Amino acid sequence: MDYDFKKEERKRYFKYFSVWMIIAAIAVLIFGVMKLTHKEEVVTANERNNSQAPSQRVYDFAEVLTSSEEQKLEELIAKYEVQSECDLVLVTIDQAVGVSDSEWTNTMVNLADDFYDQNAFGYDQPHGDGAVLVDNWYHAGQSDSQAGAWLSTSGKLEYAIGPSEENAVWDALDAGLDISAYEAYARAIKKIAHYGKTDGASEPIQIPWAVVLIVPTIIAAIYAGANMKQAPGKDTTTPMTYVPGGKANMNAQRDDFIRKSVSKVKIETSSSSRSGGGGSYGHHTSSGGFSHGGGGHRR
Amino acid sequence: MIFKCKNCGGNAVYSPEKKMMVCPYCESENSYARKDKETTYGLEVCPECGGTIPVEQYDSAMKCPYCDNSVIFNERVEGEYLPKFVIPFELGKEKVKGMIRDRFKKYTFAPSDFLSEARLDSMKGIYVPFWFYDYQTNAVYEGEGTKVRSWTSGSYRYTETSYYSVVRDMNIPFEKLPADASIKMNDSIMDLMEPYDYSKLKDFTPEYLSGFNAEYYNMPAEEVENRAKLKMEGDASAILRNSISGYNTLIKKNENVRILSRSTAYGLMPVWQYIYQYKNQDYPFYVNGETGKIIGTAPLSKGKVWAYTLTLWGLLTVIFVAVKGILGLM
Repeated sequence: MDYDFKKEERKRYFKYFSVWMIIAAIAVLIFGVMKLTHKEEVVTANERNNSQAPSQRVYDFAEVLTSSEEQKLEELIAKYEVQSECDLVLVTIDQAVGVSDSEWTNTMVNLADDFYDQNAFGYDQPHGDGAVLVDNWYHAGQSDSQAGAWLSTSGKLEYAIGPSEENAVWDALDAGLDISAYEAYARAIKKIAHYGKTDGASEPIQIPWAVVLIVPTIIAAIYAGANMKQAPGKDTTTPMTYVPGGKANMNAQRDDFIRKSVSKVKIETSSSSRSGGGGSYGHHTSSGGFSHGGGGHRR
Repeated sequence: MIFKCKNCGGNAVYSPEKKMMVCPYCESENSYARKDKETTYGLEVCPECGGTIPVEQYDSAMKCPYCDNSVIFNERVEGEYLPKFVIPFELGKEKVKGMIRDRFKKYTFAPSDFLSEARLDSMKGIYVPFWFYDYQTNAVYEGEGTKVRSWTSGSYRYTETSYYSVVRDMNIPFEKLPADASIKMNDSIMDLMEPYDYSKLKDFTPEYLSGFNAEYYNMPAEEVENRAKLKMEGDASAILRNSISGYNTLIKKNENVRILSRSTAYGLMPVWQYIYQYKNQDYPFYVNGETGKIIGTAPLSKGKVWAYTLTLWGLLTVIFVAVKGILGLM
């Protein structure tokens, strides 16, 4: 009895990959169906409805941006504002706001809230949708640093941006702030605008293309490597294989105690809770009587 | 010499299944006569047909290519070449073919005809010459072991280390440590064939060779003894080590294995050899003719591995891209 090899091979091949093929087919099918039924959200841009607020968005009091960077940020913000229907304001300052965390927080909250209120920012109406990012550079990088950022949110952003969104903004801001303040601000504002646009809905998960291409390649490489070599067989002898009856004669067996040593170590009780100003501040009403949300973050 | 069936004159061969001499032609069992060649001249002359058998240097039994009788060369199984014992083939060819098929059936990357009947039928049963070494040994181990205990009291953690002097002195007998005495056979492959079941050892008689190939030892016992010695020392060391337990750390200070007495014996072990040729390369397979242990690396069809790898890569990429798309739309 000999096999029909070609047929056997084909059968084996399809059997081998059957599960993967089914998964791939299902995935493609789901994607196809979703693609067909998915309707692009129709963005009917609402016109900005606020003539009170100034048109300036970038207030670089700390002078960390060049004038061309300011210009670029203004343009960027103008674009994001239309998309997110939020006023997005950036303020940099370099002033003492308090050493203790509570003092720092209070001052920053008030600075941010008041700046927004006094300028009557808001996309849909004065004191409406929008946010102001106040970044303080006071003694940044020094031991008595009072540097840090505060985000004051208003209107729809007050509810779209919660603690986790704030953290995402801080992550965007911190990455490379020391290298290029402009880039960091651009990233942070993009994040804030993003939350305005989706009304706080969860961001679609984007798998980077690099992952999509590299991970299967790595798996396939491991697979190929693992299958390219094989061992001829295992050693199935034991040390006792050639000892008749498995019997060795013990002439002497000694386990003599010689000495002992004792050491003691003090147990460190860990009490390292990270202190830091900021955190999410939650919803509150500013001195101007307007509701704000947001939070801050010292560095 | 050849063994001839008394009833039909056919070539009687040893049957692993029946464990006796059988005539494959008339199926007579244990009814045979030994026929030696008439002159002592010329090793390679077939006693049956007078043809010249292409005998190689160490062959002691093989088939005559002209009359297909299984010829055993008297000069190479007698006198100084007389094996002390033999393990006769326990597994016949058909059985071993089935075992190889079972073992590699699931092996995806072998070339298509790897398990074909025609290829598998080229399998040869060979009695491989082995030297067997008996050692009476004394093995001594000296070392320092520690036992560690720890506890907490108040805000301190205490660690107590106790040191022990560890001594083991054992007499370990080793019996029939094998090392093959065939140049053709790869040493490490032959080592992997172990162990053999020595309960099936038989005193040598040439009948066992009838129907099989055989070699006599290619080199004297002293030449391959090192392999047996290394094995013995490794085993003795492991036995010593296994007799020590209960320590957190163990540092060896001294270990010595002395041979008190030794003896050697020459024997033949049964091995099935299947050599598969693929892309001008030999892929030898060896099956322990007694226990059925299979040693060998199946040839790899690189094309097949690449085809499978590419398929896997393609499918994974499709899945990843689709999942990315799905998540992006959610």
